Amino acid sequence: MMLPTTLLRLELDKPRLAPRRVKRCCEGVSLWLAMLLLLFVHPLYAEAASAAEGTGMLEFVDADGRHQGQATLLNTEYQVRVSGLIADTRLTQSFRNTSQQWREGVFVFPLPEKASVYGMTMRVGEREIVGDVREKQEAKRRYEAAKKAGKNAARVDQQRPNLFTTHLANIPPGETITVELNYQQTVRYQSGEFELRLPTTLTPRYMPGEPLAQSPQQWQGGWARPTTAVPDADAISPFTVQAEDVGDQSHRAVVNLEIDAGLPVADVASPSHALRSTWDGHRVRVAPEQGAVPMDQDVVVRWSPVRGQAPSAAVFHERWQGEDYLLALLVPGLSRNQNLPRELVFVIDTSGSMAGQSIGQARASLLRGLATLSPGDRFNIIQFNSQTHALFMQAVPANGQNLARARRYVEGLSANGGTEMAPALRVALGENSPEEETTGQHVRQVVFITDGAVGNEAALFEQIRQQLGGRRLFTVGIGSAPNLHFMREAARYGRGSYTAISDIADVAGQLDDLFAKMQAPVLTDIAIELPPAAGPAEAYPIRPGDLFAGEPLVQVMRGVKSSGSLGISGRLSDGSRWQTSLDLSRAASGTGLHRHWGREKIDSLMDQTLSGHVGDESRQQVVELALAHQLITRFTSFVAVDSTPVRETSEPLTTDQVPTLLPAGSSSTMLRYPQTATLSPLLTALGLLGLIFSAAGWMLQRRVSR
Amino acid sequence: MNRLLLLLTVMFGTVLTVGLWIPFKALVAQELLELAWAESQARQIETRPWPWADTWPVARLSLPELGQSMIVLDGAHGESLAFGPGQVLGNAAGPGPVVIAGHRDTHFTSLRHLEAGSELKLQTRSGKWYRYRVNSIRVVDSRYEQIDTARLDDHTLLLVTCYPFDSLDSRGPLRYVVQATFEPVSVAAAGSDPLQIDTVAGL
Repeated sequence: MMLPTTLLRLELDKPRLAPRRVKRCCEGVSLWLAMLLLLFVHPLYAEAASAAEGTGMLEFVDADGRHQGQATLLNTEYQVRVSGLIADTRLTQSFRNTSQQWREGVFVFPLPEKASVYGMTMRVGEREIVGDVREKQEAKRRYEAAKKAGKNAARVDQQRPNLFTTHLANIPPGETITVELNYQQTVRYQSGEFELRLPTTLTPRYMPGEPLAQSPQQWQGGWARPTTAVPDADAISPFTVQAEDVGDQSHRAVVNLEIDAGLPVADVASPSHALRSTWDGHRVRVAPEQGAVPMDQDVVVRWSPVRGQAPSAAVFHERWQGEDYLLALLVPGLSRNQNLPRELVFVIDTSGSMAGQSIGQARASLLRGLATLSPGDRFNIIQFNSQTHALFMQAVPANGQNLARARRYVEGLSANGGTEMAPALRVALGENSPEEETTGQHVRQVVFITDGAVGNEAALFEQIRQQLGGRRLFTVGIGSAPNLHFMREAARYGRGSYTAISDIADVAGQLDDLFAKMQAPVLTDIAIELPPAAGPAEAYPIRPGDLFAGEPLVQVMRGVKSSGSLGISGRLSDGSRWQTSLDLSRAASGTGLHRHWGREKIDSLMDQTLSGHVGDESRQQVVELALAHQLITRFTSFVAVDSTPVRETSEPLTTDQVPTLLPAGSSSTMLRYPQTATLSPLLTALGLLGLIFSAAGWMLQRRVSR
Repeated sequence: MNRLLLLLTVMFGTVLTVGLWIPFKALVAQELLELAWAESQARQIETRPWPWADTWPVARLSLPELGQSMIVLDGAHGESLAFGPGQVLGNAAGPGPVVIAGHRDTHFTSLRHLEAGSELKLQTRSGKWYRYRVNSIRVVDSRYEQIDTARLDDHTLLLVTCYPFDSLDSRGPLRYVVQATFEPVSVAAAGSDPLQIDTVAGL
């Protein structure tokens, strides 16, 4: 304000005395310099500010480079009803837009490995829009059209059998929209214990292969770029953030279970969370003690029936659209004590994703496994990350010296590098192939200890199928959020069994169970004989795998009435035949069996497509089944579109990739760039500028007072 | 009026002092760190430069072409970066990649003069020098990119600092990343290395 008058006076003062004129001149020049400095500094500020705002993602990361308070807050709620063997879950994901702009939320989330998603509802305020199943491409088109038109729309896609993506378009500023998913799964029942897992996050997966040349170099939906082995890498690699970075407003899960096992439940426990259970007759209500839990580890709930009441058989029946569906479970209740000498190959994942508590669990598991070896056995240890390394050239006898060396080796294992599983599997499965005769007396087994954090599962399953030979492959899932789809399927293709460790304290129980089981399957060559029925009957799985001690045989059938009996036969370990029959007339009524049947049939169709391409015929069959039973599959998605537009198309819409939490106890291999600038230049500039102004003020003051 | 002006002058004077204090501290701390580094090399243990420090010297980084040499501290929290570049990841003596971060306005301000082919040297506590050669320099946006340590080659050295170098914004999202690869040197060449002798004498 004062500058112009000063300058004006400077002009007027010209004819005064020389010394004073010089001084005045200096004053004027210094003021002009101050002005110039101000003009010079200002663009720097402007540049810095525009660089930060241009991308529209300012809220995603705070000043220290931490992800925090992203614009879209996400919270979930699991309402689980267990009845008999089927657990039905209503999963509510609420997306809250805290920003001033319209948002699209994209969230990659895991579901249990055998979940069948059969319903989706979008809730906007009071209104409910029920979604329906469409072919994937059509669902995408409908969604994109609605998004463009400014309508509320939601779409749920399957990326992997246990990995899904929710897209939610046009969340108004400050509003919340919820997407409700209904899915069901079978409860795992083995060794007299039921187990249910609710995964809440995923371990960042390793993407093998070379980056695709044509893929854009900048960031897409996820942290990974598409590679030759995993062309959809960017769709399954959501950013991970630490639980403390999102605060307690986001990424919380409310979990409520209602267990109606149909029999008295003695005990409910969880290795992952402290639970509060209330009994109401046969019914048990279960919830984590702390209320909303952070979504950084699987919620595992186990319950066991009262001693002596563990079921050995169960039959459920449902009539749906004029068809009969039956679910039968049978525990053969066989055990064996005969010990054959074994050749045990341990394969341990020491990749970067195992860093943290996981590698500790893996080491403990491996040591536990070593302890089960008896003198006649042979063993080897193979570790893999980016490279594969075997402890011994070939399997060696389990004598004291070798075991001591193995223990030392295991103690020294640390997690680092990539997850190149294929070479490790090749070594483990191809081991000793030429000298088949010398090990002919040994039962050959592979124990695979990993978190399954890879993107190319299908290729690995195919490799296991081809190279397995006479071996059996057992998988041990490690960490807070293991990829159980991988564990289960790898064990299925490997004719073995799987288990998952949630906690270091859990290692002993789970592994002793597995190693006891591994002695040998109790029942092989299982054949199912359906009762004579009027129409054609279909039962899945078509070829039940071998049964290990404590494992049940589960069959789901269509077109079989609840009468007559089911004949089951198999070969015992000593070679003799074993058979039993299951009375179907005492079936309890069940719900959702048709979906389970549909899912099983889809899985068996998809099995044929492991090696890569899906035939048009099986694709058509899958789509038909999915539409009939309203299921999400690789080829079908749920989409819900509101009728009226809410966003003016002139207003911009920003996409927010909602991150997932880093699994508890794991240390990230993704390192954030640290903050590497100080306030020094800013403070120096500010100080200098201020001093110049103060100096000018002093001079002015002197003139005025004179 | 006089009083107001005095207040302003003192205030801005303080701001300026604080602003100048940061590079001054960075400069003086390096001198203190020299002592701690010499001690940790002599005794082969982690030596804290002053009793209440929450970091310690782990390596010496030298940019021979720019005639610069500095002590690298453990960790890249604000506390250690104020005194020297911080080792975010890895172990200079062990296998695996090494990532070092530093402030763009103090220790790492000279990174802008590096170019592909420039030589870098890293000395470990054992006194052994490792020679690296810069193979790429790029600017990344830290909001969208992270360092995937699983994908880094074992022989990699990453130097990270903020970008642009002259920006006043201390919280900008851009980072300047210098990637260098380990270069094995023959024993004879290492023996006649003037820098090595010089540094040992300097200690």
